[in-house]
Amino acid sequence: MNFPDLNKQFYHLVAPDIPNDWEVEELLEPYLDQSDEVCQEVFKCIPAIWPISSSLCCDFLRIMPETLKILPLSQLSTWVGEILDRYELDGLRAAQRLMRNVESGYMNRSNAGLVLLGEVEGRLLTFIRGVAGRDLFIAPGNAVFTDTETIFLPPELAVFSASADNVLLYKLILAFQWAYIANGSFTLPDPVTQEPLVDSESSLWLNTFFASFSQPLFARDCYFFLETVRAARFLEQELPGLMRAWAKLPCFVLPGVEDKNISPQAAFLSDLQLRFLNGSLLEASREEPLPLLKDYWHRLLGEGVNGMDTVAAVKAICAAHAPHEAEGEEYEGITPLLFQGEIRLSAVEAVHRQRFLRQGEELVHSLALHLASLPKEQLEQLLRSEEEKENGATGLESDVTMIMDSEFAGTAAEPQAPLLITINNEEVRLGEEVAEQVRQFHDEFGHLPGRFLSSAVGRAGKGLAPDAHPGPEQGEELQAPICYDEWDHRRKGFRKNWCMVTIKELPDLRSGFIRQTLGKYHGVVNRLRHQFEMMRTSDRFARRQRDGDDIDLDALVESLADGRAGLPSSDRLFIKLLRDERDIAVVFLIDMSNSTAGWVGNAIKESLVLMTEALEVLGDRYAIYGFSGMRRTRCELFRIKEFGEPYGERVRERIGAISPMEYTRMGPAIRHATSLLAKTDARVRLLITLSDGKPEDYDDYKGEYAIEDTRHALLEAKMAGIHPFCITIDHQAHDYMDHLYGPVNYIFVNDVRKLPMRMPEIYRVLTT
Amino acid sequence: MDGANIPLDEHRIVEKPYYLAQGSEVEIACAAYRSGLPLLLKGPTGCGKTRFMQYLAWKLDRPLITVSCHDDLSTSDLVGRYLIRAGEAVWMDGPLTLAVRAGAICYLDEVVEARKDTTVVIHPLADDRRELPIEKRGELLIAPPEFMLAVSYNPGYQSVLKDLKPSTRQRFVALSFNYPELEQEVDIVCQEGGLERDLALSLVKLAVMTRNLKDSGLPEGASTRLLIQAGKLIGDGVDIQTACRVAVVEPLSDDPEMLAAVEDMVGSIF
Repeated sequence: MNFPDLNKQFYHLVAPDIPNDWEVEELLEPYLDQSDEVCQEVFKCIPAIWPISSSLCCDFLRIMPETLKILPLSQLSTWVGEILDRYELDGLRAAQRLMRNVESGYMNRSNAGLVLLGEVEGRLLTFIRGVAGRDLFIAPGNAVFTDTETIFLPPELAVFSASADNVLLYKLILAFQWAYIANGSFTLPDPVTQEPLVDSESSLWLNTFFASFSQPLFARDCYFFLETVRAARFLEQELPGLMRAWAKLPCFVLPGVEDKNISPQAAFLSDLQLRFLNGSLLEASREEPLPLLKDYWHRLLGEGVNGMDTVAAVKAICAAHAPHEAEGEEYEGITPLLFQGEIRLSAVEAVHRQRFLRQGEELVHSLALHLASLPKEQLEQLLRSEEEKENGATGLESDVTMIMDSEFAGTAAEPQAPLLITINNEEVRLGEEVAEQVRQFHDEFGHLPGRFLSSAVGRAGKGLAPDAHPGPEQGEELQAPICYDEWDHRRKGFRKNWCMVTIKELPDLRSGFIRQTLGKYHGVVNRLRHQFEMMRTSDRFARRQRDGDDIDLDALVESLADGRAGLPSSDRLFIKLLRDERDIAVVFLIDMSNSTAGWVGNAIKESLVLMTEALEVLGDRYAIYGFSGMRRTRCELFRIKEFGEPYGERVRERIGAISPMEYTRMGPAIRHATSLLAKTDARVRLLITLSDGKPEDYDDYKGEYAIEDTRHALLEAKMAGIHPFCITIDHQAHDYMDHLYGPVNYIFVNDVRKLPMRMPEIYRVLTT
Repeated sequence: MDGANIPLDEHRIVEKPYYLAQGSEVEIACAAYRSGLPLLLKGPTGCGKTRFMQYLAWKLDRPLITVSCHDDLSTSDLVGRYLIRAGEAVWMDGPLTLAVRAGAICYLDEVVEARKDTTVVIHPLADDRRELPIEKRGELLIAPPEFMLAVSYNPGYQSVLKDLKPSTRQRFVALSFNYPELEQEVDIVCQEGGLERDLALSLVKLAVMTRNLKDSGLPEGASTRLLIQAGKLIGDGVDIQTACRVAVVEPLSDDPEMLAAVEDMVGSIF
């Protein structure tokens, strides 16, 4: 290919961007020597990469000539897809790294049992939630660790050559991380106060414990290793099958033990690790126990071992391996086992803090509700004492005493909920639910900070009527934006969380529109009502059935007569009451893009009015949403009528208020409607889209990309058991419609004036 | 046809069914029987509701007539209808009428599956009137003291469309069933599935894990019934993994991801 051709093609691909001439020249120069085929394949990737990151794309073009010496052309698109996934996960640098290491990063493991987390995540998540019995989460991370709520796993595993083994390794990692959580390895409570956190909100006791040694790192590694042995022991009991499968796995290669110049401490731990992996740690030590760990092994093989035993063992080890200062050797740390991962107390602390805040907030709320329901005098008394407290210097927090029921009935093993709480010497009796909440909070966090009660009292005093809901204003947002993926056909993959959908309310607009429309179509409305009434769920008698509720006398007489006449008599002698239940939910998606201005928009509105009139007679559940927006960050859905909302003046006004807005990004709107419909339990679920043409947005959501995304969104809807149907208003039918909606799933209306009459008709045909 | 020649012997439960009480449900049911009150059993599938009814029928020495309800069940299916035989219209009692005449226990299984207008027919039977009007014959049957009405349903998968009307609900003594406690369930699986205790314990652990998946897309976990069935297969020589797959994993779901995850659990436990 010659340069002008390449150049032209490149600019065409990256339009509307206009990169600098000299840069482009530099980028394209190496391709002058390449074959046409290579150039075409490489250039095909540009539209997938450029819109996501132009600098990544430049990099891509720079290294491609070299890379293609290693990478077969056929694998190019998969490789690009992976790079883009990495970009969205870890950013530009990580993607560039992955791109440069094509040899080690992609080729070497391409066939060797590689398992990607994304492929098995659903299965693993279900597995660990079932096993753990609580809502744990899984996330890809740069290291294996857990913060006690989420388990972080490597994004891919290729340790073994068989993919089944790598999946097993994932399970093993999960099982171990769960075992740490279940055993409370990271949240070991202070032996004195019995609280996992030293000052309730900041630091874990384990941190303090490790810091008390001259070599905190060594203490930590010892502790973690011994806890791993304990976890293995725990898993042998809980998941024996998994542990047996593990034993059958090919042996791990231990990282970094060849180094001879390691400190004695590291050598000690490495040795233990090796023995543990060989499975001989517990067995061998039964005969020839390591003197240091003799007690611990003994406890481990018995019942009821707990974290404090590990703490004792760590103390013993550290005492024996105290560093010889004269030699000046320093413990350098060892590489943890793969399934063991890392111990990250700071992450655990962060989660703990968050839970503390979240649950504290909930607690304050319910306490405040409870206090607000107290007799007025008592509440006033509480408020007064609270005020005094604030003004005086006696202390910042309220004094709290909980009077536990346990003093009378419960035992230590079965903690009881507090019945009374004393706030500033004022006794408050708690309701059962609040009491339970207080107890749970106390159990988890060890104490109940007085300031919670202060703020509860304060809130109760302010009058706790839930925040008066301000009436919806112009296009007010009804809830937080929801993210939806978007399909990128160029890379055959999703752009994760690409579109932000905001649900808004249309302003109520008093207009004569509805009245005018109803007047204009007076006759039509009456006819439609009649038509739709006929479709309503109705009981009807079916005659001449084999069995039924009553005898069909006509049939009986006939049959007896037949019998007498020597003819075979029918056995269809019954009347049956049939009930044809209409169990239909439908969402109407209304295109509110600016191209609908004028006649089209008016026709759409009119048809909606007629449609709703007819639907009210029919009794099907329906919702109406308008969609518009600009760019992926602002896809707007306007709620005109939601499921279950009665059809009243407000809905009519909102229909009247439908007006042309911005662009037509159909994918996110369809995805949201799908999620709405998925929540209904109707037997037949319909998604009817009313649009006036192609999907299109201000950014690169155009042409093929937009059509493919919309098509994919419709496919997703179909997969969710929803029947999508589109009504398109246009001057002429287009080729893309068949592809977009499927041949029977759309109807094309070219005379906009007919639409109001056509639409109820279309619906009638669709649902009978 | 009269009460005298009703073929009820096949509805009698002769042998004592195995039933391990979870609480005081047997005493309560007996008390309800003595006072002529109807029973409402609710609980997930396969947790022992039907077995409980069998046990109760045996204990009270009454025939048990079970009707599995479905959405095509009509009032005539319960009460009875005229049939045409040899040119004559013959009245045929439905199961409910049969039970009332004979003083048996009538058990309507999965009663929410029946249409609401059908269930209304039990209303006069389920309150202190204890009578069953048979409109077509112009007959009013008064239930003898031995007659008992029991209905069951599964609150787990009922949709908003399938709910008992309050007017139906509020006639019953309601007993809530759930999967038994771990130890008890192990006993049951041992006994019914004919298994070693250790194996039964592992099966129950598996069931508990699947029951944990409520929020992850499996509305109902493995029931005690499934475990017993797995146990029977194992007892017959089917290898443990296979037995678990065919008797526990596959019946739970069709979602491949869910199946793989549950299969992983089986692999981890056994």
